[in-house]
Amino acid sequence: MGLMKVSMIGMAASVAAFASLAGVSSTASAQDCTTKIGAVLPTSVDWGKPIAATAQFAVDLFNEAGGVKGCKIDMILRDTQVDPKVGVDAAKALVDLERVPLLIGAVSSGVSMPILTSVTAPANVMQMSCCSSSTAFTGVAESGKTKGLWFRTFATTRNQAAVAAMLIRDRGYKKVGIFYKNDDWGQDIGKLVAADLEAMGIEVSANVAINDGAPSYRAEVTEALKSQPEVIYAALYPTEGSAVLREWISLGGTQKMVLANSLKSDEFRDNVGLQYLGDSIGHDSAAPRVATAASFVDLYKAKFDAEPNGPGLPNIFDAVMISLLAMEAADDKTGTAIAAEVANVTDPSGMAVFPDVDGIKAAKAALAEGKSLSYGGATGSVSFDKNGDVSAPAVSWTFTDAGTAEAQYFTIADVDGFIASVAK
Amino acid sequence: MIGVASYLVFFVTVASILAIAVMGLNLQWGNTGLFNGGVAAFVGIGGYTTIILGGTPQVGQFGGFDLPFLIAVLGAVLAAGALAWIVGIATIRLRHDYFAIATFGVAVAFESFVRNTDRLTGGAKGLRGFERPLEGIVGDPLLYNAGFLVVTLVLLTVIYFFLYRLVQSPFGRLLRAIREDEVAATALGKNPARIRLIAFITGAMIMGLSGSLYATFYAFISPQDVLPILTFQIWAMLIVGGAGNLRGGILGAFFMWLIWTASGWALAKFAPVEAQSYAGTLQYILIGGIIVAMLLWRPQGLLPERLVVSQSNVEH
Repeated sequence: MGLMKVSMIGMAASVAAFASLAGVSSTASAQDCTTKIGAVLPTSVDWGKPIAATAQFAVDLFNEAGGVKGCKIDMILRDTQVDPKVGVDAAKALVDLERVPLLIGAVSSGVSMPILTSVTAPANVMQMSCCSSSTAFTGVAESGKTKGLWFRTFATTRNQAAVAAMLIRDRGYKKVGIFYKNDDWGQDIGKLVAADLEAMGIEVSANVAINDGAPSYRAEVTEALKSQPEVIYAALYPTEGSAVLREWISLGGTQKMVLANSLKSDEFRDNVGLQYLGDSIGHDSAAPRVATAASFVDLYKAKFDAEPNGPGLPNIFDAVMISLLAMEAADDKTGTAIAAEVANVTDPSGMAVFPDVDGIKAAKAALAEGKSLSYGGATGSVSFDKNGDVSAPAVSWTFTDAGTAEAQYFTIADVDGFIASVAK
Repeated sequence: MIGVASYLVFFVTVASILAIAVMGLNLQWGNTGLFNGGVAAFVGIGGYTTIILGGTPQVGQFGGFDLPFLIAVLGAVLAAGALAWIVGIATIRLRHDYFAIATFGVAVAFESFVRNTDRLTGGAKGLRGFERPLEGIVGDPLLYNAGFLVVTLVLLTVIYFFLYRLVQSPFGRLLRAIREDEVAATALGKNPARIRLIAFITGAMIMGLSGSLYATFYAFISPQDVLPILTFQIWAMLIVGGAGNLRGGILGAFFMWLIWTASGWALAKFAPVEAQSYAGTLQYILIGGIIVAMLLWRPQGLLPERLVVSQSNVEH
């Protein structure tokens, strides 16, 4: 016990020493004032790192344009380890100890949900996620439990499923096999796509769940292969997606594939091989035909010297930017006040804004004059419905030598029209 | 200051909930020598049962029976016990390493089960909880969390004294006898398989209680909550704290959860911005390093087991 006490005291002392050190260094370099915001993202996972880097990039741009209300933004980033306990604790520490009024994250719905219900909503902190796509959030928002504090820049699974079904219909396929990642997102989208296809009289001959990290997917692939589908719809992440589709192609499955936005990655393209992806087409919520999305790609390339091909990168960029613009517009720095301004900076009739440094400066000037903004960023022009869901336009894309190329553009009207047509 | 208090209340609540599970494992491993590799399943079934029994009805979802909280908790404890009974009958005669692998398999199967039974458990989306008991009446979130902490601490104390008495009793001696030398215990006319089964079920019920509090506190549970990492965390807490010592287990739970969370906090605070996206990875290395260092420095744990030789002729 004695030893224990000594080591605990020693630890506390060293933490305190560190704390004072950090305090000194930050005051030395800061501008007049600093505003803290929080981010909880899975930085210990390979695909989480670029998401965190892009979030920080958005903050840096905003700071270059003078910060929020003249204050430098300090984004405190915490890892979730994709463990709900750890993510909720990180969020709680940010909200209670750092007093952040705004929390960016998380990625997985299974982490975002307990954060929303047990941390942010009770404390009136605004939460914006880049990537949580579970339809469960819409239900919670409809019941009023999110108090209007919850937003996400990832088109809901409903939206994406509709585009997938449209792509399959437009190519005249009559028999479809589905591989879906066995998590909340994959189960949702797999179910929705199958329902849409069946509503249009297209047969779903196989609907196969893919679990992470299996040494081989031969059993799953064989099961799908038995029904001889004309086309495969794959709602998978790059690692498992590569493994499954390599096995699929090597066993003689069709190379006609429709791919979810999560497979829009160089890793997947290189692992499967471009020569096998000639007949594949993907869907995504981004809107490359809009000039702003192309401008985001240019901004991103200038900073990172690579195409923004990882999942969620445009979405996290927009999530951070919209949040900061709303913070600029809000009268005070409380979560409730910031959340109330989100509609004002994503107003379709407002002044169009693209968030590069000059754009942010212009946006801040317009807000100071009391004008509203129409934010147009990496995923096109964004607008939220009353549940904090986005209704983004969509694109289809194909793989190329350089990365991906856009194939077709679906306006919001196209997507919503399709959803209405299968709903009857 | 209110923020610090609010966070501390939250931290102590989570650590106490984990400490209850650690005490359950201590009975199984520390006292009886049962290597339970499937802690996550017993904690998980407690959590799921609580929400299914006590939750509010939802469209297209089994459960939501809206039963009083205490009945939901009781159901959770019994469900965990029932699972342990079924698993125990099949596996309790296995030797240490085989028993560990078998129970680990049970946890993986449990996670797979809840991930795939949409109607029963919400599938991967998880189960949204109920309005937490009495939350509407209390109103203020901090006050509510403080109340929840008191309830958790009371339960922690009750379990502590229950196990303390149990281990001091002749039954506790019997557990240790089986742990140390099963053949000798059999030779003395004891039935090790039956005793081990009782210890296994009791430990699992305590884990079920922990899971019940966990799901109630977050008002949510999903398959992400019952991954093997949970089993690892509970084990690390017991080993670092001191297997066989109840107070060691509790201390280990608080200590490890502090390391787990404070390392993330410290890295977020002190690592330079450019290194921030690597902080998560660094945190894993740090946690692993601390566990290794603890094992090298004090392999018997922070508070080692204290063996008392019972002597009937000692004056009281």
